[in-house]
Amino acid sequence: MSVRLPNPLLGDGVSTRNHLSDIDPRALLLVAVGYIVAMLSVPVLDLGMLIWFAAYPVVMAPLSHVTYSKVFRKSLVTLPFILFVGVMNPLFDHRVAMTVCGVDISAGWISFLSIVIRGLLSVQAVLLLVYTCGFNGVCRALGRFGLPSMMVTQLMMVSRYMQTLGEEAVTMHRARLSRGYGRRNYPVRDWGPFIGQLLLRTVDRGERVNRAMVARGFDGTLPPVYVRGGKAMGWETNSTVFLLIWGGVIFCLRYFNLSAIFFG
Amino acid sequence: MHMADALVSPPVAITAGVAAVALLAVASRQVRKDSRPSLIPLMGVLGAFVFAAQMINFAIPGTGSSGHIIGGVLVAALVGPWAAFLTICSVLIIQCLVFADGGMLALGCNIINMAAVSTLLAYPFIYKPIAGTSTRPWRLMLASAVACTVGLEAGAFLVTMETEASGITALPLSTFLMFMLPIHIVIGLGEGLATGAVLSFVGASRPDLLVPSPSVASSGEHKRKRLWPVLACFGAAAIVLGVCYVWIASGDPDGLEWSIAKVAGNVDMGSLTPPTAIMPDYVNSFSGIVGALMVIVLLWALTSLISRRVDRRQPVAEKVRVKDK
Repeated sequence: MSVRLPNPLLGDGVSTRNHLSDIDPRALLLVAVGYIVAMLSVPVLDLGMLIWFAAYPVVMAPLSHVTYSKVFRKSLVTLPFILFVGVMNPLFDHRVAMTVCGVDISAGWISFLSIVIRGLLSVQAVLLLVYTCGFNGVCRALGRFGLPSMMVTQLMMVSRYMQTLGEEAVTMHRARLSRGYGRRNYPVRDWGPFIGQLLLRTVDRGERVNRAMVARGFDGTLPPVYVRGGKAMGWETNSTVFLLIWGGVIFCLRYFNLSAIFFG
Repeated sequence: MHMADALVSPPVAITAGVAAVALLAVASRQVRKDSRPSLIPLMGVLGAFVFAAQMINFAIPGTGSSGHIIGGVLVAALVGPWAAFLTICSVLIIQCLVFADGGMLALGCNIINMAAVSTLLAYPFIYKPIAGTSTRPWRLMLASAVACTVGLEAGAFLVTMETEASGITALPLSTFLMFMLPIHIVIGLGEGLATGAVLSFVGASRPDLLVPSPSVASSGEHKRKRLWPVLACFGAAAIVLGVCYVWIASGDPDGLEWSIAKVAGNVDMGSLTPPTAIMPDYVNSFSGIVGALMVIVLLWALTSLISRRVDRRQPVAEKVRVKDK
């Protein structure tokens, strides 16, 4: 019996139509990469400059039909690892970097905060990229930028076979419960055979699916046209405008200290 | 072991990215030559399999990294090193893009540390000589355990080097190595045993899936190699690595002196501080930070408002919104 599991890679939970749907995924990818590179190149102690980079996710989230709070919450998943990156900085760096209401704040704390902000913003940029054009869109963009077609196909295949693997795992678990007379645990000695069996079952089913695809004309590569919402897409003027606007904004954020200009 | 963007500097990330792209190009060319009809579904299934296995991870304190199995040796044993490299790369890209595990800029580093080391080094130079064409469980188990442990150690070592070269964290190199290397021995052994268990099952049930398959080997194309020279080589390599580690840990005074000086707080660190970590001439302005924050909040409110108004004007059919979970 087949079980339908939600798969974000196939578009489950992702908006199919948003304000940026007509923008070519290549433009979105370029802006995201440019943003991350520019943001990470900001000096570690320059919090005033770094905070302005939050403008990108804050503006892009509503345009992608997703609330910023959702993006922020999702990015928090990586917070423990980001915290570990900078947790030693306050211990080692005691130089005074800023005084707030008579309280000295060390450079270690500033750099710690800076690392956390960088980590969260870079994750948010990547999440928004996928929310905007979907995983398929990113794959197509990577393909148009020269990523080998074999690799693009592999990315798409993994995303689809994840569904197959999950379904086989659920089926095996159900079978195990049915014959277990109430025993729910999996003894350690059975893990190897269980996982091996899961792998073989999924491989067999994957081969059947592949044979069916080949019988219907699949030659190992994906069709070159990017179709979204029933419409063939290409690079249009709006993509150029989008790229130029965000390119200009990112350049300004990186090379002009707006905090110093506007707030002294 | 996924490196976050916050852990690497742009020069290190771009260098690793260029190396990763070059390897991807070579791997794609090699895989295209492979005529096995089942290769594409096998790579897809194994990618999904490794993806699921890598979801079980745990944080390593003070390093900004997480520990989990990589799966490179397992995949390489089933589809060969180049196809395995592509498979692990695809898993890393999906994890980065969809699940925010590992940064986009750090993707090149992650590909080198995890995909390249395990599939292009650990598999051909460690697993293959030990396992040969045998499907005996103990031999597969031994080959997997040694290959996974050495591969993971090498990957962990590269993480510390890339972090050190980036100069973002204040953690001294010797401390970082002491955090990373021992824990990855444990993770590597665990991964090796799990890999060996799965490969033993596959070897017993579907030996044709193992690369090279015993049927090919028995036709005389692959000669069985003796085990002891390989083990002797690895013994020697382990001793050399141990000596190198002691040399790095104790012979690099910069990290230790730098840490002590930071704790003491009275030493001019100008000459010792990594260029990207600290900008000594910078003075932060609190009002500037608060002002920037206020503008960002204002910007968010304004964009949300405009976006909602535009939505209201659109026909109902186009209003497909993502539900907050």
